[in-house]
Amino acid sequence: MRRPNDIERDVKSIGTLVELTSVFEGIASMRIAQIKNQVLQATQFFDDLWEIYSQLRVDNLFRFGRSQSDEVVLDKDLYIIVTAEGGFSGDIDQKLISTMLKTYDKDKHDILVIGHHGAMQLAQRGIGFIKYFKMPTKDKNINVEPIIKYVQKYQKTNVFYQEYISLMVQDVKRIELSAAVAEQGKQSETNDKKEIITSDNTIFEPSMYRVIDHLERSMLQIAMSQLILDSKLAQYASRFRAMSASHERAEESQGDFKLELNRSIRAMKDQRLKEIINGLRKSKVSA
Amino acid sequence: MAVRQDASTGELVDDGDKNTPQLEPDMMQIKVYSPYKVYFDDQAYSITAVNATGPFDILKGHHRFLTLLIPCELIIQTKNGEEKIKISHGIMYVKEDRVTVFLDV
Repeated sequence: MRRPNDIERDVKSIGTLVELTSVFEGIASMRIAQIKNQVLQATQFFDDLWEIYSQLRVDNLFRFGRSQSDEVVLDKDLYIIVTAEGGFSGDIDQKLISTMLKTYDKDKHDILVIGHHGAMQLAQRGIGFIKYFKMPTKDKNINVEPIIKYVQKYQKTNVFYQEYISLMVQDVKRIELSAAVAEQGKQSETNDKKEIITSDNTIFEPSMYRVIDHLERSMLQIAMSQLILDSKLAQYASRFRAMSASHERAEESQGDFKLELNRSIRAMKDQRLKEIINGLRKSKVSA
Repeated sequence: MAVRQDASTGELVDDGDKNTPQLEPDMMQIKVYSPYKVYFDDQAYSITAVNATGPFDILKGHHRFLTLLIPCELIIQTKNGEEKIKISHGIMYVKEDRVTVFLDV
């Protein structure tokens, strides 16, 4: 049996681990609450924009804000994968890349990566990508304009991201970006009869089509930011889960070590007691 | 319009829209916000901004108006004086004495 001093040292170090995992768990849950709040705020903003846009639309075609642009649209689809920045994301990034590769054809698709981990995974598999962006460290005012510039060059864009379902469940999801905008818009739509905004009842500056283009770009940006935030939410939830499990394991180990320590102290006391009794017996016999 | 029948008199009574506060004379409801922050949400006399054509003011009774804003300083005249908000770009929508400015989009 190990000596109590050695076990006591282990109890102390595992105690530090218990505290650390508890702190990380707390940070992850705080971040989750913050992001959830931001997603709600941004949704309200999107809803207000969508209301104006839906009153302006003359048809259901989403033009990615390029109706007034002369740039040639590439005859390819863009795949955007949203992954974690570091390697603490578990296996969900690998799952995400495997899902993407099921439909990937290098002649028909270009890949844009968000998050260093995804770029590393693709490089390891020898798959090329046109651009890599770092996962934003902040959770507010994410600038997605450079990504939207790429989106506008392509016919269609599919985004592969981690979806936050609950604290314990995260999944990989694929969505067509214009569908993401429409889906978010549909959620905000009410059954109220809509007014129509036309140049007969509204003054537009610079022009109605420029305003529609701008609104489409804005909503694309918000939808893209929401997808990135959703991914971050899933990553924090995954980290929270990992920290919860580590915290639980550390607490169990701490319990085991304490039990071992008590046993060791007890064994030592028993040994001393035995020695004293034996000593007493011997002294009685000799007397 | 929230029209109800008064229980005691049986007459129809118009309580107005309870969610939207009544506007004071010569005032408009102005909201300036971005996806993650509300910069101003109150009643005011006027708002000054700049679009591609140049600077302009919006006062009570303005025609319905939708415009793209360029980098400028929004100036809002309130009861308590002027409020200034620097913006990089945005969209302004004016409708029935309600002005909404969407920022950072």
